[in-house]
Amino acid sequence: MAVQVVKVRRPAATFSSANPWIAILKGLWVSIRHFFGNLGLFLRGRQDFAIHFPEQRLVQPPALRGMPVLAQMADGKERCVACGLCEWACPTSCITIYPAETADEVERYPEIFDIDMSRCMFCGLCEEACPEEAIIMSRQIEIASYSRRGSLWHKADLLVPVDQLKTRTDYIRRNYER
Amino acid sequence: MSNPVKTVKVTVDNQIIEAPEGTPLLQAMLDAGLDIPHYCYHPKLSIDGSCRLCQVKIDGMPKLQISCNTQVRDGMVVHVADPEVEMTRKGVLELLLLNHPLDCPICDKAGECWLQNFSMRFGARHARTIDTRRKRGKRLDIGEQILLDQERCILCRRCVRFCREISKSNELFVFSHGDKSVLDIYDKRLDNDYSMNVADVCPVGALETKDFHHRMRVWFLEDTASVCPSCSNGCNIMISSARGKIWRLTPRRNDEVNDTWMCDAGRLNYKFVGDPARLRAPMVAGEGGPAEAGWDEALKRAAGAIADFVKRNGARTFGAFASPHLTNEENFRFGEMLRAIGAGRIAMAVPRGRQDDFLIKAEKAANARGVRELGLVSGDDDGLEAMLRACEAGEIRGLYVCGGDLLEVGQRERVDAILEKLDLLIVQDLAMRPRYGRAAVTLPATAFAEKEGTFTNHAGRVQRIQRAIAPPPGWRTDGEIFTALMNQLSDRAERFELESVWAAMAGDGSRFAGLAFDKIGPEGAPLDTA
Repeated sequence: MAVQVVKVRRPAATFSSANPWIAILKGLWVSIRHFFGNLGLFLRGRQDFAIHFPEQRLVQPPALRGMPVLAQMADGKERCVACGLCEWACPTSCITIYPAETADEVERYPEIFDIDMSRCMFCGLCEEACPEEAIIMSRQIEIASYSRRGSLWHKADLLVPVDQLKTRTDYIRRNYER
Repeated sequence: MSNPVKTVKVTVDNQIIEAPEGTPLLQAMLDAGLDIPHYCYHPKLSIDGSCRLCQVKIDGMPKLQISCNTQVRDGMVVHVADPEVEMTRKGVLELLLLNHPLDCPICDKAGECWLQNFSMRFGARHARTIDTRRKRGKRLDIGEQILLDQERCILCRRCVRFCREISKSNELFVFSHGDKSVLDIYDKRLDNDYSMNVADVCPVGALETKDFHHRMRVWFLEDTASVCPSCSNGCNIMISSARGKIWRLTPRRNDEVNDTWMCDAGRLNYKFVGDPARLRAPMVAGEGGPAEAGWDEALKRAAGAIADFVKRNGARTFGAFASPHLTNEENFRFGEMLRAIGAGRIAMAVPRGRQDDFLIKAEKAANARGVRELGLVSGDDDGLEAMLRACEAGEIRGLYVCGGDLLEVGQRERVDAILEKLDLLIVQDLAMRPRYGRAAVTLPATAFAEKEGTFTNHAGRVQRIQRAIAPPPGWRTDGEIFTALMNQLSDRAERFELESVWAAMAGDGSRFAGLAFDKIGPEGAPLDTA
């Protein structure tokens, strides 16, 4: 077999790509800042540096991707039309959808919508693939369960009223091209 | 042919393609592997020229021409990669999408929709329209099997031509003119034996089968080329499966058998494969009726019962019903097994039904011809009447019955009386049937989608079926059951492998002799007719 040489056009070097140590220092700067900041607090007498979850919580940024949930509209129905794109986009195949038909104007809905949270890796590709803004990465991160079966979330467990998801929907509208 | 068709040469974008004279230019370009978008052209339907998408530039012609309605001419120079052609395509697609509802997320065609594919490849990225889209009828119940969505329709009239030319039933029409054109039925509903083909020819999701409506996304489906098991015509099909289940059957093009069509009855006859009532483990008769048993145990019981029967009554009183649903290879192995026993008589019950002069054949089983070609059965009724008489006369006292067709031949009382009288009954079937209640052993049969092999259709064309869904672990297919029984009854150590079985078949002097297994292509191969 003849060897073929493929010339790849590489992007021109920028200042930051030519000087990777800047990025290293930038990352290290976070550690340094925290170290000296906490050191200062310690010297002034503070003993406890932990955040006492669950009584105490960090403020979650809107970019946080927690558990994927289904948007529930005002009439109590899901916004999802069971198109299956999230199921297709999901790298871990944790979503299972069985569609069904209704007499509503939007004729299709998921009869079964299961997410196996033990397999979900919170990548958010489902949210990005969704054409209906129906599956949304919520800020819910407390999803541990006592059994494997408890990690299988069904449609009824996944529905969250859409106004509770406003932070995230605003964020994805800003950040994803739609 | 006495009048050979002249081959002409056409230049398409510096590439020279050859085609027989009279071929539509579009077909010639598609055959050469060129990627030409088109909607209304279908190789098995007349030319309509209504979609205007296949336009190309031809030297010497003042305007762009639709390539479907242009015949190839020697020395024709065609331009496809041309800014004018590209602009035209973009314009045509924009026009087709002008009032398209874009409800792809709920459309069953999404993923295999030509409008999606061609718009993504050749169309504009965004719509320029600001007006609201036209409302039309959605989910119109126009027939037993078909739903119509007039908003999605792009008016290519493939379905209209199908109903006019292929099913010859004239149900669908396009009404009105210009942008008021709408596809609908007029005086009768779309109920014919081939109605579901309109959903195949529809390039968009305007016509959908109720059977596949909102059931599974096409991108999850895995296609397996196979043959329809529902009648002896042997229409070529694609089995679409996902999650260990069959979701639909669609016709596969084979100009020798079914062109690109299949009947509705065949298309819907896949549900028995996933039927929960199917036999999932061998059943052995016991004190309190039939009980589930392991495969090895059941096969040992069956072989033991046959050996015992032969010792007591002699092999000549053992008979068998071959199944026209099993493959050539399995039936050949069945014959070998019966020879090893020394069985006295073989017959076959073939289910029969309605036929027409197109695709539907009277014999409702895929491989009756194969069983006859193997020489297992003879006579007009495949030995059925003679077998029933022999059973009644007590000449046959033990039966090995493959399939439930014996129960469907009519003469219910007669068959039941015979089954009641038998000393030994071994059944191999898809489900437990109460009328086979006296079976000593019932072995589960394997459905056409779960195994490999070949069927011989009514015209003697040998075609391959392939495994689309896996049977449960530890499962024995029909051929493996026959092989295991044969091995136990005659102390052999054969295996059921298609190539070696085929080699034995070819060496047997039957009509399969001239046919090598690996020569059976996707469109099958005719039996040696010499």
